[in-house]
Amino acid sequence: MTYEPIWGSIIAWYLFLAGVGAGAFATSAFLSWRHPEATSMRKIGHIIAPIAVGIGLILLMVDAEAGFTHPWRFVYLLGNFGSVMTWGVVFLSVFMVIAVAAFILDRLKKNVPTWLENVGAILALCVAVYTGALLGVCSTYPLWNNALLPILFLVSALSTGAASVLCVSIVRHADEFNMVGVLKKFHFFLPIIELLLIASLMFITQSNSDAGYQSVMNLISGQWAIWFWLGLIFIGLIGPTLLETWLLFFSSEEFEKSRLAHWISFASDAGVLVGGFLLRYLIVAAAVPLTVVTPLL
Amino acid sequence: MTRYGMLIDTKNCIGCYACRTACQRQNGLDADVDYIRYEERETGTFPHVGYEMVPLQCMHCEDAPCVSVCPTQASYTDENGIVRVDEEKCIGCRYCMAACPYGVRVHNKATGAVEKCKFCTAQSFEGKGETCSCVEACVTGCRIFGDLDDPDGELSRAITEKNALPITGDRTKAKIFYVR
Repeated sequence: MTYEPIWGSIIAWYLFLAGVGAGAFATSAFLSWRHPEATSMRKIGHIIAPIAVGIGLILLMVDAEAGFTHPWRFVYLLGNFGSVMTWGVVFLSVFMVIAVAAFILDRLKKNVPTWLENVGAILALCVAVYTGALLGVCSTYPLWNNALLPILFLVSALSTGAASVLCVSIVRHADEFNMVGVLKKFHFFLPIIELLLIASLMFITQSNSDAGYQSVMNLISGQWAIWFWLGLIFIGLIGPTLLETWLLFFSSEEFEKSRLAHWISFASDAGVLVGGFLLRYLIVAAAVPLTVVTPLL
Repeated sequence: MTRYGMLIDTKNCIGCYACRTACQRQNGLDADVDYIRYEERETGTFPHVGYEMVPLQCMHCEDAPCVSVCPTQASYTDENGIVRVDEEKCIGCRYCMAACPYGVRVHNKATGAVEKCKFCTAQSFEGKGETCSCVEACVTGCRIFGDLDDPDGELSRAITEKNALPITGDRTKAKIFYVR
């Protein structure tokens, strides 16, 4: 029996970009709480959020072909509140409005009120969790149909969002990058949590059904093994963890503020972004559905 | 109330694919698009072996996952219990395809929308024919189409006599019953 995946790389890009945008906005909110002096970095988060989510939404509409060619059909999207996708549309729309409002307030050199920042951050969390729950309710795919996935996507969204803000600020505002120690330490732990979640997902999924076993084997030893181990686990999670461990805990403060250290940080955050995309892509591509009579091989 | 359903006796299925061909012709589908797919396997141990052929199509579940995940309500259950797709509302997100436990929904590349078996609504209910085209086409008479709410009908009697069951038990309250 052959099997053609239902969703491809466009959906993986969308899941990734929605996560990055949500994470970037959450990072801005975190900065205004713990590092109110880092105003430029906060604005960077407010720029990344609407752009990343906006591109993601465009990809989503292009992928939904029948809607793309008949745009008025998108009106029906609020039709079924039993559907996770309908909730996603609500979260994404409200989040987009707030993200654009924060962006405009920044451009007008006006303060973004704390309540707007906080409501936006809560919606950012909803968007990130929704991207996992969207796949999670498909009971045909054991790799998706579990309660770990929304948490994994949430952690990855926060991690990639923070990484995107840190990357841009290394290039544009190195002075502020040196001041945001709390954000960096918080960001440091996210890939470690992700490693734990991915390991749990693999252990549990491989034991629950033939299709679950097959999905996990696709990732760890099958056609996606190189991308999984080298791309996601090494470049996306272990590499950044090792680099940041060295920079944050074992190097001198002097070195940590040098330009070389900045570029090492940049490489680590770029790795986090690569890993974030690969996580979405591999989870979408490697999932094997349960079948009725004959297991898929 | 009418509650349409079907019985498929896989013990008599010879795997000729006539049902799929008839369905493709009835619905004007391309050769690589089908509303009926097959899962097959060998059974028993040599020398006492058998070969099982299981045709699968939309089960018209009463508890349909495709209907509950569809964000635009394009997937719906009509008054006769037939699960249908309103192409005018379908945006082609394929969420229903991911949610369907039977993998029997197809993405029409020409329209971008999702389609599947609709129990030949056109033929059965507009007086053009007697029954579904797959039932008409089956050379060994494996298939019976009818009203599950009619206790004396051919379908209900055959389900009881042959002890036919939905392919995955109670999972989605499917309305196609299999003899295996």
